Amino acid sequence: MKILVCLKQVPHQDARLDLNADGSWIKEDGIKFEINSYDTFALEEALRIKDADPTSEVVVASIGPDRVTQALRTALGMGADRAVHVKDAAVDGSDSLGIARVLAAIATEVGPDVVLMGLMSEDNNASAVPPMLAELMGVPHATAVVKADKGAAGFRVERELEGGALEVVDLPLPCLLAVQTGLNQVRYASLKGIMAAKKKPLDVKTAEALGLTGKVGAGAAKATIRKVYHPPKGEGAEILSGSADEVVAKLVGKIKELGLL
Amino acid sequence: MASILLVAELQKGAIREASYELVAFAKKLGGDLHSVVLGSGIAGEAEALAKRGGGKVYVCDDAALANYNVDGWAKAVRAAADASGAETVLFSNTPVGWDVAARVAAGLDAAFVSDAFDVRPGPVFVRRIFNGKLDAEVAPVAGKVVVTVQPGALAAFEGTGSGSTERLSVDLSGLRAKFVETKVASSKGVDLTKAEIIVSGGRGVGAPEKFPEVIQPLASALGGAMGASRPVVDAGWLPHEYQVGSSGQVVTPKLYIACGISGAIQHLVGMKGSNYIIAINKDADAPIFEVAQLGVVGDLFEIVPKLTAAVKTAKG
Repeated sequence: MKILVCLKQVPHQDARLDLNADGSWIKEDGIKFEINSYDTFALEEALRIKDADPTSEVVVASIGPDRVTQALRTALGMGADRAVHVKDAAVDGSDSLGIARVLAAIATEVGPDVVLMGLMSEDNNASAVPPMLAELMGVPHATAVVKADKGAAGFRVERELEGGALEVVDLPLPCLLAVQTGLNQVRYASLKGIMAAKKKPLDVKTAEALGLTGKVGAGAAKATIRKVYHPPKGEGAEILSGSADEVVAKLVGKIKELGLL
Repeated sequence: MASILLVAELQKGAIREASYELVAFAKKLGGDLHSVVLGSGIAGEAEALAKRGGGKVYVCDDAALANYNVDGWAKAVRAAADASGAETVLFSNTPVGWDVAARVAAGLDAAFVSDAFDVRPGPVFVRRIFNGKLDAEVAPVAGKVVVTVQPGALAAFEGTGSGSTERLSVDLSGLRAKFVETKVASSKGVDLTKAEIIVSGGRGVGAPEKFPEVIQPLASALGGAMGASRPVVDAGWLPHEYQVGSSGQVVTPKLYIACGISGAIQHLVGMKGSNYIIAINKDADAPIFEVAQLGVVGDLFEIVPKLTAAVKTAKG
């Protein structure tokens, strides 16, 4: 089985979020990046399929500047077979549909039986690219997947609904699964894996090479982020000050006042 | 006047309230309103929507739509978008909306805005990003736009309307996704909904052994229950029954103490109805402080054990 895993590199969850000069996004220089947590679960799921069927091939793909190489090397170290890195300033400023077009072009070259990716990214929180990519590829999809069982002809998946309910759906191959966090326990790259990863292929591609000139990037985007800002503060919490002992005394006082102590 | 199509949803045999929130959103946006209802045996529900502000309601009534099906929904919504000439298509950001809306947007070659909680003149849509830490204003450049709207962001439309219904026939052959069943949440183990006091830990607790060492003792000292946020459960530190949030338990205790929880939207939805909220977090900018009444910006490993000891002393 051939599996395409789409990864996004996002600011580290604990990174300080300062705004850039024109207030259109965060300031990215000087902060740490990591693989989007949702995508790590997608990669793990792909690697488990390969563990069970070693004839499987896991291809990881990502879009972005030089820093993305590190994310792809990590994925190769965890066990992916090869990587595709679309590194091209012409892709900068793409909206979700532009990103989906880039990934669809990669999917055409790879020819996967299944595409695995995270339900959403930790930065833009949009959940937009997976269903768009499935539409462009002309394959069925499921989102918020918390369980994926591979059968002979396809996958039986469980989708997360509200309040802990689940929907069970059968999807034939090829298909796309956008996974929820927590569907497996993600492995770490072993030292042996990291060493082996150095010899695995990592292809760097441009938008032009993928036949996407003029179809992606800021010029083709149908929606733009005009500005980002810290949400207006409401009344918010009364923040207690003082030493730890003073703070604890005030907390105990409040719990007593609530009649709970 | 620009045409708007609203994709209504059914829940327990009726149009769900989130769909009437879409009516309110559409009225704020301004335009000629159309709706589409999908399901099997849904004429009555479609009538109800038409009478409560849904405008012209397209009815896709087909046995193949008895349960949600991504291919069926995509086809039927596309057909309704064509029939209504919609410039704007609105979904609720629910398990249906987040599954199919972006797919419809790609098919229509439209702009897509996810989980908007407000719209300003332009239109400019406002949404929350970075797990609640920032807001973004998103403007469609031109042409069609598909938007999912955050449930609960606007009050549901409560007025009446003189809408109409029209049957919409769609070829639903060749659907590839097949619905198997819906599994309801299992209610084994911890029922946090009945707890008067909940002490919850998040990613900031740092390691699984810290829950029995640090969080549980405070919960026990107060005679309450221990809870957790999603990352804790995802990491396998605690089982799912401890999870508070939109995909876990929705709780309303008299006192909720959040320790090392930053306050992602999905967690806030599950606990913001608590009578009193105390938050302890090292990050002063954490969104949890927006819903808490009392906050401590500091190290939970210093504060929580001292608080546990003080509670025990106070109880004698």
